[in-house]
Amino acid sequence: MTIEECYEALEGDYSQAKVRLHSDAIIKKFVLKFPAQCGYDALCKAVEEEDYKAAFGAAHTLKGVCMNLNFTKLGESSSKLTELLRDGYSEEVPSLFEQVKEDYKQAVDAINSLT
Amino acid sequence: MKKRVLIVDDVEMNREMLYEILKDEYYVIQAENGVKALEYIEDESNEIAVVLLDLVMPELDGFGVLREMNKKNLQDRIPVLVISGDNYSETEEKCFDYGISDFISKPYYDNVVKKRIRNLVDLFQHKNRLEEKVVEQNIILKEQNLLLMEQTEKLKQNNIEIIDVLGTVVESRNLESGEHIKRVKGFSKILAEKLMELYPEYGLTKENVEMISVASALHDIGKIAIPDNVLLKPGRLTDEEFECMKSHSVKGCEILVNIKDIWDGEYSRLSYEICRHHHERYDGRGYPDGLSGEDIPISAQIVSVADVYDALVSERVYKKAFSKEEAFNMILNGECGVFSPKLLRCFRESRERLERLADKNKEKFT
Repeated sequence: MTIEECYEALEGDYSQAKVRLHSDAIIKKFVLKFPAQCGYDALCKAVEEEDYKAAFGAAHTLKGVCMNLNFTKLGESSSKLTELLRDGYSEEVPSLFEQVKEDYKQAVDAINSLT
Repeated sequence: MKKRVLIVDDVEMNREMLYEILKDEYYVIQAENGVKALEYIEDESNEIAVVLLDLVMPELDGFGVLREMNKKNLQDRIPVLVISGDNYSETEEKCFDYGISDFISKPYYDNVVKKRIRNLVDLFQHKNRLEEKVVEQNIILKEQNLLLMEQTEKLKQNNIEIIDVLGTVVESRNLESGEHIKRVKGFSKILAEKLMELYPEYGLTKENVEMISVASALHDIGKIAIPDNVLLKPGRLTDEEFECMKSHSVKGCEILVNIKDIWDGEYSRLSYEICRHHHERYDGRGYPDGLSGEDIPISAQIVSVADVYDALVSERVYKKAFSKEEAFNMILNGECGVFSPKLLRCFRESRERLERLADKNKEKFT
């Protein structure tokens, strides 16, 4: 899978990423770093422990990294979750968290298929 | 030398992306939290030219960094550019309230980031250089001011010394004791102080009072040009001798004019006024110019009362001393010529101080 196909699969904005980061090599370098550094694991752990302050920080990190890479879909769901968590827990958190999990899986699957 | 940029973000990838943009133009330093960032910023030897700051971080967040920087006014010298995923105007506004120089939202365009950073670095470099220059110039200005003050003080001392030297000449020539000069100085000071207190319209200051008192020492300098047979005559002077005696005020002025080239300024002017006009009277019947009323310089008016008072309470070759009571009344009754009503009021209200000084001097001689 090429980097462009990868963006298509995770529903990101490849053309914008290209404008911003210039080369496929650089985009690919950062995309490959995404799973380890995006804060997703920290988010899962914080939600599980019901530490919503930590969850806010982790969601914020995830959202920031998604924006930097133009991962549009995951960026949107994590952004919504971040704003929800800014004021602590609310009833909508679990369903939105599920959405983030789903989008994350879609992104990681795409990244793992990169050649 | 490349300028130094400090990137503060807890996510390595975010730092790396900025590093990619900036590495060619800047020397990039990275900090993964606020505490580390402050260590770099506060160490002046790092010479950080700009800080790129994330807001949400563990340990110490972006606002914490800004708070600490503001405690030390560090943002006056180092611009902070916040890069945040929070696209809310409140967040941006809060950052600006914390004094940041610029705010960039994610996702950013690298060319825009580059240009904004370059603008900030240039602007602050210019500003810092200007401020350094202002500080330098202030130091120079202060030094020069100090020098000027020293020279002014020296000049003042020189003036006082000139007056002292000239005064000593008068003393050595005039058998009326040199103590007369010191007493007139003292009486003049008492009267001038009262005048300053009661009649602000004369615009006298403490400094003026001091200067009048010092300059009064030369009121009789012209007497060095009066022949001994007139100056030291114990008996009554003939009309001709009296005219000769009266010429001392004009002759004194001639002496002062002759040294004008080496001695100029306020002291010189005051000495001249006093020397020339200390025998004028308020009704115009004094000499040498017959000035009347407020045409007589106030310095001369003051010294003339002091001079007459001292002449009355002292013993002279041609007369015994009057009692203080007699002297007081003679001046107020106009027996020694007419003085300004304002000065007479000062004289009346200073009676106690004047008499204390007269007594003190008398003790010295008996």
